[in-house]
Amino acid sequence: MTTAGGAESFETRLARFRIVNAWWIRPACYALSIVLLLCAWQALGNSFGVLFVPFTTTMSRLWDMLQSGPLLPGLVVSGKLYGVTLAINIVLGVTVGLLLARIKLIAAAFEPYIYTLYATPTISLVPFVSVMFGFEFGSRVLVSVLISIFPILIGVTEGARSIPRQHLDVAAIFGSTEGQLWRDVIVPYVTPYAMSGIKQSIALSMVGTLVAEFFLNPDGVAAVLLQGTTIVDSGWVLAVTIFIAAIAVVLVGVGELIERYLVRWRHTAVG
Amino acid sequence: MATYSSRIDAAPSARWRWGGGLITRERVAPVVAGAVLLVIWEAWVRTQLPDFVARPSGIVMAIPFTITTREFWSDVGATLGAILQGVTIGSVAGILIGVAMGRMRELNWFLSTYIRALYALPLVALVPIVILWVGYQPAARLIIVVISVFLPVAVTTADGTRAISKDYLDVGKMFGARTHNVWFGIALPSATPYIVAGIELGFARGITNAIAVEVLASVNGMGMSVFTKSNELNENASLVYVLCLAIFAVGVRSLMIRFRHWLAPWYHR
Repeated sequence: MTTAGGAESFETRLARFRIVNAWWIRPACYALSIVLLLCAWQALGNSFGVLFVPFTTTMSRLWDMLQSGPLLPGLVVSGKLYGVTLAINIVLGVTVGLLLARIKLIAAAFEPYIYTLYATPTISLVPFVSVMFGFEFGSRVLVSVLISIFPILIGVTEGARSIPRQHLDVAAIFGSTEGQLWRDVIVPYVTPYAMSGIKQSIALSMVGTLVAEFFLNPDGVAAVLLQGTTIVDSGWVLAVTIFIAAIAVVLVGVGELIERYLVRWRHTAVG
Repeated sequence: MATYSSRIDAAPSARWRWGGGLITRERVAPVVAGAVLLVIWEAWVRTQLPDFVARPSGIVMAIPFTITTREFWSDVGATLGAILQGVTIGSVAGILIGVAMGRMRELNWFLSTYIRALYALPLVALVPIVILWVGYQPAARLIIVVISVFLPVAVTTADGTRAISKDYLDVGKMFGARTHNVWFGIALPSATPYIVAGIELGFARGITNAIAVEVLASVNGMGMSVFTKSNELNENASLVYVLCLAIFAVGVRSLMIRFRHWLAPWYHR
């Protein structure tokens, strides 16, 4: 009685609660959570003072900084680094990934080092990179790429390696040329793996961009962020952080949309 | 046919073997490649770059001196201690919140906005605001590590506990399982591989972000020393620290893989 009764009471209570679970429960939860956070932020901000400004103040600061502040110029600088990083990641990641899958000896020779480099916290290599290559755009790109290329590279390698032998055999039996083999078998098969890597790289390139800008002579959005810390202006720092978070959410969303569109015919293959 | 099949294939080659198959081409290749990379690095620094730039021979020479200093061990203790502490706190919190999110839709909807937004945000961007709130203190490092681990663990635990098979739940119900039995007796064990994957990801991010905080907040530790040694033109010592961090990161990674095989031997990926 006690055990079963206890289980049932909670489950049934939850179930009874869910009987009213019309479509509006879900949006209501989302709305409630956002309203609660904003209220809490506003209340805390009003009582804390300088170190934690209220939501409304943060938003007005953000608006001011967007109108006539360092934010947009900084965004242009960061955006350039981000774009170059992502482009290099995709081109180099896919090429090297396929190469590693196709040429066994190269894979055997370099894979241990690639995995070690992947596991090593790239931030710790920043001083070395700066001594070797300076603090200019090239070094930033190198650091940023080192942080964000590996999901694509490893994803493509593993994808190309897992092509079932039957697919290749069928292509061979029907006398595919090299070009046809790539167009009809390899590229379609590897695409979901590559997209999964690119989706991760879209998010990681942002990490790379920020790290490169934080640690190799501050520049771009990261420099704007650090400026706020130096002058102990929490409104400034909060505004920039929210701005970066908004961009991150949009970029991650775009990555998911692209992935869903390109691999819409294949729902289960890649986890 | 054979040409296509052999082109993309991970199996070791059978052609080139010595020592009864112990020394294969695939086993010799990484050693040769590593040696070539080291020689190129050494030669390049010796001929092209100033003397203080780190090179393999210099790093090896710097190892004994560096790891016998008291400073090195206090750095190691501070950084690794903070990381382990943060990973523990973040994992426990992430598992608890994650199970609750996975088993209660309403809580999932309530929290998911923030968890997903924070998960998308590069956590390096949170470092300045955390420094502003807690000061240039070791606490900033701990907070960032906890967040770095909490987010992936909460997300993967929620995904794993949501996706449990209905059969398990029915059996549990028949045997009169109470809510906590369902949560921690059924949902949690079946989500183990997801949780370990989350901790693995969180560990890697935690290490990176701990270093980031050390450098940005001038907190003593291995990451800070990598940068200060480099600024003192003691590049070789700086690279010794990097080497230790790399060994730690690689060790954690392979340990987590073993851990997953041990905890969830049925799960193959």
